[in-house]
Amino acid sequence: MANYAMALDYKNCINCKACEVACKEENGVLKGADKHRIWVGANEVKGEWPNLDIVSATFVPSQCQHCEEAPCQDVCPTNATYYNEHGVVLVNAEMCILCSYCMNACPYDARYVDDRTATVDKCTFCSDTRLARGETTTACQNTCPTKVRTFGDLDDPNSEISELLRTREHFTLKSHLGTKPKLYYLT
Amino acid sequence: MMAEAIKKQGIKEFITSIPFKKIGLKELFGFEKTPVNILIALSVIAFLAMFAIGVTTYLMHGHHAYNVTREHPWGLLIAVYIFFVVSSTGLCIVGSLGDVFGFKDYMMISKRAIFGSIVTIIAGFAVIAFEIGHPVTMMIYNVLTPGLTSAIWWMGTLYGLYLTFMIVEFVFLLKNDMKSAKIFGLIGLLVGLAAHSNLGSVFGFLNARPISNGVFYPTYFILTAFITGIFIAFIMMGFRYKLKFPENAKIMLTNLAKIQGLLISILIFFVTWKMLTDIYGSMPDRADVAIHILGSWTFWAEVILAMAIPLVIILASSGRAVNTLFFASLSGMIGVFFMRYNLVHDTQLKPLQMLKKTEYQLSPEWIHYFPSSAEIMISLGGLGLCLAMYYAGTKFFNLDADEHH
Repeated sequence: MANYAMALDYKNCINCKACEVACKEENGVLKGADKHRIWVGANEVKGEWPNLDIVSATFVPSQCQHCEEAPCQDVCPTNATYYNEHGVVLVNAEMCILCSYCMNACPYDARYVDDRTATVDKCTFCSDTRLARGETTTACQNTCPTKVRTFGDLDDPNSEISELLRTREHFTLKSHLGTKPKLYYLT
Repeated sequence: MMAEAIKKQGIKEFITSIPFKKIGLKELFGFEKTPVNILIALSVIAFLAMFAIGVTTYLMHGHHAYNVTREHPWGLLIAVYIFFVVSSTGLCIVGSLGDVFGFKDYMMISKRAIFGSIVTIIAGFAVIAFEIGHPVTMMIYNVLTPGLTSAIWWMGTLYGLYLTFMIVEFVFLLKNDMKSAKIFGLIGLLVGLAAHSNLGSVFGFLNARPISNGVFYPTYFILTAFITGIFIAFIMMGFRYKLKFPENAKIMLTNLAKIQGLLISILIFFVTWKMLTDIYGSMPDRADVAIHILGSWTFWAEVILAMAIPLVIILASSGRAVNTLFFASLSGMIGVFFMRYNLVHDTQLKPLQMLKKTEYQLSPEWIHYFPSSAEIMISLGGLGLCLAMYYAGTKFFNLDADEHH
C-alpha cells in the first residue's frame, strides 16, 4: 500500500489559482468562495515604507494535510471520516451526520459543507477521480505552471517526493498540535 | 429493581398503574386568567408557532436558513441545546438532593425537578434535531460504527441513557416507590454528570482552539449546571406558590440560595482565573481571543445577569430574600443563556486560517456571527416546547411531594 503525501515548493507559487480551478473542475466542487478543497493563502508585505519586508510577501498553497493523527477523524461520532488504505483522510458521505464537529476540530480549516449531499467534504488527493482512473498525479499538481506540488508515495524510496524530502529542508503546518501532517513545505 | 416491580405486576399493569390525573381538554387548557398567566400563555403559543415556521424554513433551505458558515459552523442552536441540557443536568442534581441523597428539606422539589429535567432535555433534543444535518443517520451509525474517540458520541449516547433513567426515576417517584427512585436517580445522576462533562469535553478536546482547549470546560459545565438547576428551582417554586411560599418552601429556598451563593462565588473565581491564565504571557490564539471576549457585551451580560445580580442579592439578604431571588433567578437564566452563547461563539472567534484567500478582501480578523431569524425562531420554539410540556406535566401529574414527606 502506498502512503500518499504532497511536497510543496511553495516559494515558486505565483498565486495564479489554476490549482483551485483544476480542483473544482476535476472533482466537481460547487462554485462559491466558501466551497473549496484547496486554496492559496497570501502573506501580505509586512512593515512600513521604506522598511518594507519584501520577502514576507509569499503565497502559501494549502489544503487538507491528510494528517496521520487527524483530529477530524478522532472527533467524528460515526466514523464517517476514515483513513483509506493509502493513508488518505476521506469522508463517507453516507455516514456523515453533519454535526460539523470535524470542521471545528480541523486546525487547518480544510473542511466545508457540500450542499448537494449536505455532508462535509474535503480534499481527497483526487482518490475517487484521477487516482481511480489510474493517474499518478492530482489535478492541482498536474495544472501547476511552476511545479509547486509533488504528490507521491512516502513509502517508496525512489519516488520523487521521497527524494525531495531527503534532499530539501522542509516544515509542516501546526505540527505542534501532534497532527503529523503530510503536506510538506519545502524551504 | 424495575424488573422486579414489573415481574410482580406485569408490564401492562406497571404502566397503567402510573398515577396521573385524568383530565379533559377544558381542564388542560384552563388556568387562572391573571395578566401574567395570559402573557405567558400567549408567549408559549407564539413560540410554538415560531418553532413551526423556523423548522419549515430549515426543511426548505437546509443550513442555508442559518447564518452558520465554514468558519463558524456551530451557531445559536448548539448554544440553545447546551442551555437546555445544562438546565436538565442542573435540575437532576437539585432533584437528587432529596430523593437520592436523602436531604429531607429538598424532598418537596424532587419530583418537580426530575420532571423539569425530562422536559428540558426533550426541548434540547428537539432543537438539536434541526441543527444536526442527518439525525436519522446519526441514530443508525452511532450504533453501527460508533466513534469511541468522539466526545460527541459519548455525550449523545450518555444523554440518551440519562433521559431513560430520568423517566424511570420519575415514574417511581409518581408511584411513591422511593427505594427504586433512589437507585434509578443515582444511576441517572451519575450518567447525567458523565454526559455533561463529556459535553464540556466536546470543547475541551479541541486542540485547534486554545481558548477552549483543556480541562476547564468539562469541570465548569458541572458547576454551572448546578447553578442553573438552582435558578430554575427558584423559578418553578415561584410559579408554584405564586411567590407566597409556605414555611417549608422558604426554608428549602433559603438553603438553596446559600448553596447558590457559594457556587456563584466559585464560578467567579474559576472565570477570573481562566481569563488571567488565558491572557498571561500573551500566547497567540488564546490571549488575543480572551482580550476580545472581555470587550464583548455578551460576556458582561453573562457576568452581570448570572453572577453579579444573584450573588449580591444572596449576600445582602443571607439568602432569605426568596421573592427577590425569584426575579434574580430569571435574570440568572438570561445570563446562563449568554454563558452558553459565548461558549460556542468564543470558541470559533479566531479564524483557523489567517492568510488572505481571495482578492479584494482584507486578511481574516475575527469571525462574525449573528443568528438568522430561523435560528432564533427554533430556539424560542424550544423554550415554548419546554414551557408547554412543563405546564402539561403540572396538569397531569402531582409534582408536589406526597403528604407523608
